[in-house]
Amino acid sequence: MYRYDEFDHAFVSSRVEQFRDQVERRLNGELAEDAFKPLRLMNGVYLQLHAYMLRVAIPYGTLSSRQMRMLAHIARKYDRGYGHFTTRQNIQYNWPRLSDTPDILHELASVEMHALQTSGNCIRNVTADHFAGAAADEVADPRPYAEILRQWSSVHPEFSFLPRKFKIAVAGAERDRAAIQVHDIGLHLKKDENGRIGFAVYVGGGQGRTPMIAKKIRDFLPEEDLLSYTTAIMRVYNLHGRRDNKYKARIKILVHETGAEELSRQVEVEFAALKDTELKLPEGDIQAISTYFAPPALENRAEGWESLARWKKTDEDFARWVQQNVQPHKHPDYGMVTISLKPIGGIPGDATDAQMEAVADIAEEYAFDEIRVSHEQNLILPHVALADLEPIYRGLVAAGLATANAGLITDIIACPGLDYCALANARSIPVAQEISTRFGSAERQAEIGELKIKISGCINACGHHHVGHIGLLGVEKKGAELYQITLGGSGDENTSIGEIIGRGFEPEKVTDAVETIVDTYLGLRRDREETFLEAYRRVGPQPFKDALYGSAQEAA
Amino acid sequence: MTKIWKETGFVGDDPWIIETEETKAGSNEKAILGLDAFLAKVGEGDETGLGVVIAPADDVTKLAPHLDRLALVAVAFPAFNDGRAFSHASLLRARLGFGGEVRAVGDVLIDQIPLMLRCGVDSFAVSNATALKRLSEGRLPGIAVHYQPTAKAATDAKSYSWRRVS
Repeated sequence: MYRYDEFDHAFVSSRVEQFRDQVERRLNGELAEDAFKPLRLMNGVYLQLHAYMLRVAIPYGTLSSRQMRMLAHIARKYDRGYGHFTTRQNIQYNWPRLSDTPDILHELASVEMHALQTSGNCIRNVTADHFAGAAADEVADPRPYAEILRQWSSVHPEFSFLPRKFKIAVAGAERDRAAIQVHDIGLHLKKDENGRIGFAVYVGGGQGRTPMIAKKIRDFLPEEDLLSYTTAIMRVYNLHGRRDNKYKARIKILVHETGAEELSRQVEVEFAALKDTELKLPEGDIQAISTYFAPPALENRAEGWESLARWKKTDEDFARWVQQNVQPHKHPDYGMVTISLKPIGGIPGDATDAQMEAVADIAEEYAFDEIRVSHEQNLILPHVALADLEPIYRGLVAAGLATANAGLITDIIACPGLDYCALANARSIPVAQEISTRFGSAERQAEIGELKIKISGCINACGHHHVGHIGLLGVEKKGAELYQITLGGSGDENTSIGEIIGRGFEPEKVTDAVETIVDTYLGLRRDREETFLEAYRRVGPQPFKDALYGSAQEAA
Repeated sequence: MTKIWKETGFVGDDPWIIETEETKAGSNEKAILGLDAFLAKVGEGDETGLGVVIAPADDVTKLAPHLDRLALVAVAFPAFNDGRAFSHASLLRARLGFGGEVRAVGDVLIDQIPLMLRCGVDSFAVSNATALKRLSEGRLPGIAVHYQPTAKAATDAKSYSWRRVS
């Protein structure tokens, strides 16, 4: 993984001192809250319902054990003993004191981490496929490009006061596990007919109150043009994105109102002028950054096949966990392990300091010191020998981290909702907990198969409900919480935005409604192989509407 | 009150004044015109040493044929969070090659000045009290290492191609 050099250290420590000065000026009243706000936001500090919140960047979700231990230390020393992993591969602390934040950032800098640009109207943490460097279907590792973008976008003077926030995601495999089509810029690595590496470029995707699927504006952008082309997009957006209305300020609205063709033309004009400038990436630099992400030396461990089969036979729970949470690695003797942060009835994405340390220990001992955070709010060990799965599982069981539900109905994405968030209209966490508990039985989950439930507590859609197979959106109606259900969303290479199925449900009825939807699916699927999403795409919303609202009744 | 600051310090005798319906340049002052007024003026005569202000929604590239007539281009930050002028300044310097004075006007705050400098702004009309105080004390909160080339020339960092130091 990437390691800071002297330049990076100098940058991050200067930045911490700069922020320390800003916090001091805020605390002594020299800096007003409205002028302080964009500065603190660019350093990851939010003001939430009950307290400040600090969002720490985990660039493209990649962590070492040392870094994970630091996250645990911060949870223990400055917070209430836990942290919340987010859909943008970051971690949030919900209870830090403002006056402590410079010290927290200082401690983070000691393990090559920061909270830079995890908020504010700037280029945010660049995200990538959590199986990068390990997946069998990978064209190229997306992380070197994400790292180059991370560096280039750090305190970019031209693009620090954009109309609105800006999110870039990079996928490197055929399967899109980074949801690139719902990002402001989505980059999909590919090779051209001559074997050169480049990107298909998507622009203007996003969720929020106006969900839109990104438009492809470039079939193939050679890798050396990454920064010049991105600069061209950013400049067109900075100059022409709407600033009159916060809710229409994302680039998706500019793309929509300008038209993808015209916007693409403007970007190409700007790009033509930038293409052969100092922004062009030398091959040597791409190589040098890529070297940091070289996969670990994976010895053949063929003995794992036999022992795995034996362990599975003697322990049904272990077998279920392997079945659900371990996926094939590009090396046949290895697997990619998903550590679920979705215990049955628990809070999606939360981990305690002790759990973080347990994962750090396991990764150090068995998994080449590499941990990932997935946008589905789980942790990943990307390189694990099959021969080591059993001891890893034992360690995870001891830490309460062995829930065998990756990709299943209880692997729910949820935003913090009204329990923490100043923007929320409704709670998300209790709804997730109740659904998780209702469907908690392992047999029942296995019977249902792959099903992604995503819950947002307000229209800003941090819980990605638009791309949930079943999406729940909390709204406020006449002072009470109500949950609107969408069906058929998906955030992969076949991205779709879920359709609203009808009038919303009260908190005490929403789990029943989800159960009705699931039972309807089980009743109409062709066979066990047909997933919920496939079935929905085949039959459409009607059978679900009928089941929820009665066939005679017109759903409002 | 508004003072003009440059990296060399405060400027005592700045002649520029932004012309509006109400405010006109006096005999010892020089007018900064709006873009339309400027374009009209260059069409009428061959006066040089002019000043123009680029509002956020203006197209700065319209100045391209007239750069030799300009001594000063003001770029406007009507609010500190309206970042369009960062692109205007960048385009003026890096694309159009304008070598005259580029002045930030409007909501010019201390924490934004280092960013403006890097985009090629070289003079600042400052009225914010904290900014005036910090500038007079020589305390600019900038960072000396940069991850991107920008309009203002900086030293190559002897590292990856995109890195610079100042």
